[in-house]
Amino acid sequence: MERKTGLVFFPAFDWAISPTHPEREERLLYTRDQLFEEGIMDLPQISEYKPRMATHKDIARAHFCVPDVATQITEAHLFAVGGALVLADALMNKEITNGFALVRPPGHHAMRVAHGNRGFCNINNEAIMIEYLRQKYDLNKVVIVDTDVHHGDGTQDMFYHDPDVLFISFHQDGRTLYPGSGFCDELGGPNAFGMNINIPLQPNTTDEGIHYVLENLVLPIIEDFKPDLVVNSAGQDNHYTDPLANMRFTAHGYASLNEKLNPDLAVLEGGYAIETALPYVNTGIILAMAGLDYSWVREPEYRPEDFYETKDRMDYTKKLVSYLWEVWKNREELGAEKYPRNGDFLELSRHIYYDTDSIREQQYEDIRLCDDCPGYQVIRSRGMYPYGSSKLIEAIGIHPRACKSCQEEARKLYEEKKKDYQGVDVIYLQDKVQDRYFQYSKDGDVEVTDEQQTTR
Amino acid sequence: MFIGLDVGGTYTDAVLMDGRKITKKTKVPTDNDNLFDSLLNALDPLLEAVKGKNLERIVLSTTLITNLIATKNVDPTALVIIPGPGLNPSTYDYKVPHTFLLSGAIDYRGREIDPLDEQEIKTCAQKIKEAGLKRAVVVGKFSQRNKKHEEKVASYLQEEIPGIRVAMGHQVTGRLNFPRRVFTSLLTIATQERFRTFYSEVLKLLEQRGISAPLYILKADGGTISFDLSAKKPVETIFSGPAASTLGGLALTPKGETTVVVDIGGTTTDLALILSGEPLLASRGAHIDDKLTHVRAFATSSAAVGGDSCLQVQDGLLQIMPYRKGAAYCLGGTHPTPTDAMRVTGITDIGDEKQAVKAMELLGKDLGIGPQKAAEHVLEKTVQRIAGEIEAMFIAWEQEPAYRIWELQQRKKIRPQNLVGIGAASPALLPLLGKEMGCSALTPPDADVANAIGAALAKTNLRLTFHFDTQRNFYFIEETGVQEKLTDIDSLADAESFSMRRLKEEGERIGISAKEEPELVYSELFNMVRGWRRGGRLIDVCVQFPTGIIEYLEEGDA
Repeated sequence: MERKTGLVFFPAFDWAISPTHPEREERLLYTRDQLFEEGIMDLPQISEYKPRMATHKDIARAHFCVPDVATQITEAHLFAVGGALVLADALMNKEITNGFALVRPPGHHAMRVAHGNRGFCNINNEAIMIEYLRQKYDLNKVVIVDTDVHHGDGTQDMFYHDPDVLFISFHQDGRTLYPGSGFCDELGGPNAFGMNINIPLQPNTTDEGIHYVLENLVLPIIEDFKPDLVVNSAGQDNHYTDPLANMRFTAHGYASLNEKLNPDLAVLEGGYAIETALPYVNTGIILAMAGLDYSWVREPEYRPEDFYETKDRMDYTKKLVSYLWEVWKNREELGAEKYPRNGDFLELSRHIYYDTDSIREQQYEDIRLCDDCPGYQVIRSRGMYPYGSSKLIEAIGIHPRACKSCQEEARKLYEEKKKDYQGVDVIYLQDKVQDRYFQYSKDGDVEVTDEQQTTR
Repeated sequence: MFIGLDVGGTYTDAVLMDGRKITKKTKVPTDNDNLFDSLLNALDPLLEAVKGKNLERIVLSTTLITNLIATKNVDPTALVIIPGPGLNPSTYDYKVPHTFLLSGAIDYRGREIDPLDEQEIKTCAQKIKEAGLKRAVVVGKFSQRNKKHEEKVASYLQEEIPGIRVAMGHQVTGRLNFPRRVFTSLLTIATQERFRTFYSEVLKLLEQRGISAPLYILKADGGTISFDLSAKKPVETIFSGPAASTLGGLALTPKGETTVVVDIGGTTTDLALILSGEPLLASRGAHIDDKLTHVRAFATSSAAVGGDSCLQVQDGLLQIMPYRKGAAYCLGGTHPTPTDAMRVTGITDIGDEKQAVKAMELLGKDLGIGPQKAAEHVLEKTVQRIAGEIEAMFIAWEQEPAYRIWELQQRKKIRPQNLVGIGAASPALLPLLGKEMGCSALTPPDADVANAIGAALAKTNLRLTFHFDTQRNFYFIEETGVQEKLTDIDSLADAESFSMRRLKEEGERIGISAKEEPELVYSELFNMVRGWRRGGRLIDVCVQFPTGIIEYLEEGDA
């Protein structure tokens, strides 16, 4: 096949969180001007695709939306994730070599349970895309590399107990930036230990530092893991002009990162330097993915002499890389040490904050420990909303490779919970083996289908 | 009364129309080496008929520009580009031996990023002078948002090289897409002079015949433009033939309905779409001579099948070849064609029946069926091929990228209500095609001069797309290259009424009747938020006098 890069450009020029919010109509306006003026869409190496509307079922594969899918989304969300799905199909049908979904709104802070918007995200575009690909095509191992400056805590949560999806996020250290997570010890649950790699970098890290991480850690791990698919969760806010973060990455750095990483699919995440970074970073990424020369792409005020890595920062980065490489190599022993297998379940609990919607969530997870398969999880979550209201849900998620007995156990559990649901607003069954998704509430038992595309 | 004249590749058609009625029509073969003769052969009988009556206008559609470009007989031109940062400029091959790259850059807001380098301009001018070039095109990236660099380079070239003609990208088109602006500018300068020669010849001929009615030419987007204005950007009049046939189809079909204009010719079937009464324009500029341009044109498509297509059997399967091998068998040719199949099934009476049967026997032998069955099979395949192409056009329209939620939601699946057939083989084949597609097949009696009807009835159109930047205090108009200071515009309503006013002024200037209703195509406002406060607004407004026809013809009027 001739090399082709698929592109979905969905700037949602008629959608904003609020008029002055960073996630507003204007965000990709200058990017449009730059891409269109360059004639990018006319290049023989580029195929432009139109986004489709994702369905509720697409979303229910990844999320437990409270109280239902329609409440958590707008049309823009359906088109944004639909854009990623269009490219996923085009890739699998071998129409394209790789693809970039330049869509908004973003998604990498959206977790499995979705009570509302966190970090500008309601639903997780990459996670929905990967669950879709796993159901529709023969695909086992996936790597997601999150290149956004913020820790991709939503995507981490999505696959924390999934040994088939390796999540790698490099980002500005959570002690200095939203969402305040993404530390080296968040390595994955008992069924997927080592499948979650966080690389917290010091503020002001430049291209040199990030490329060191890429070449000495990210790429070797990927090579070792041998995935069927590489996804770039492509935030652009490591850029030196980004108003919401403090890194020193350039358009050229982003382009060459994509050249080296060579993702099959990239999905736009954050990036809020809408004039000074996005037009150039997006052009650079597209050219790199299409195998074209990106050396002419540069920011107007870019002066190479302003960008250098200090010895201290480089020492820190190198130490971090060698530490994490050791962790990766010894993940099995380390996992056994951290999560000794006694009993059928491991219980975890945590508190989650939704900055955009001011929601606090208390969550308990029962992780099924099975010797034969990745099992299932039972989540009990209470969302505490502004002005005192709250919702309690219980959700069962079955891994696509769950063994027969885990599947039966989980389905039975759902039936039992339905009989005794006092105080629980919604009970969910996410059956990724049968690709069927149910939710039970006072309205009865409802199966989420592909026919549903409505919003509230 | 109006005269419409279409100088096509094969035939030249002309009609004289009195309101809705066709008073006279002519059809003569086109002599491509002498377009004037063809033009006059078709025109003269009409001029005779119009004598003593009020001739309001003559509209011409012609293949002249297409021919000019195809012959590539153009004078050498220097290309000076100011690409700035972004795509490596060698990614696009402009195929111009004398191409010069200058440093300097403008960004998407029209701000200067890098200044021009005077020494570079000097050297460039020197080289152009030494090469003896008398034409140059200067195009900068984002020049439509700031013409300063283009103007500076152009005026320097004009000072240094006496007699040089220079075209600037921003004057040719202000639409986003730098490579297309380069190609369109090159085509513009390549065709201007010859078009002017043609123009003055035509004027002279009309003058000799005592005709003083204004002369218009049909553009690729189906609008008419006065002959003298078209001389500025003659490349816009390319594909005026397909535009004429689309408008002719529009004139011959029920108002407001969704129709496919089907022109079945010798080896191709040309298709155009009319969606709810509006001919569909391509979302991007036309493909000309393998180059992508900014020229607005109708969305047309072509299926490689026609009445003279050569038919063959390969591995027991019927193949419709994309070429012809002489005439149809029934017309003295040597190869079976769809025309022979039509003759055998009796849907046409063209040609010799016995020969047609013989052709189908030959074909049927390889397929293991009799001549009658073979003919039916051929027609079935022919119709399916055309229907497939029509379906593909509708799908392409549905799949066109859109960047707003409302646009994506609006594009619902629709299929045609009618087919309207023009071209020789249409009357015979169209009913079958209509049956295949489940829509009504119209073959109006005057379909043979549909192109001329389309030209005669085409309206003068005008589209202006404004881009306002209230922070930088300037606005520009894509279509005309205007870049001016802005005052007193802050809201969407201000911008809309300003744009409407400018459209009406400009419309009046180019002869659009005050009775025509201008329309707002879209308008869109972006708040520029800087540091959590509104720093200004970017407003895009597109207004137009739409493409269309003056009056619809009603059945039985002709």
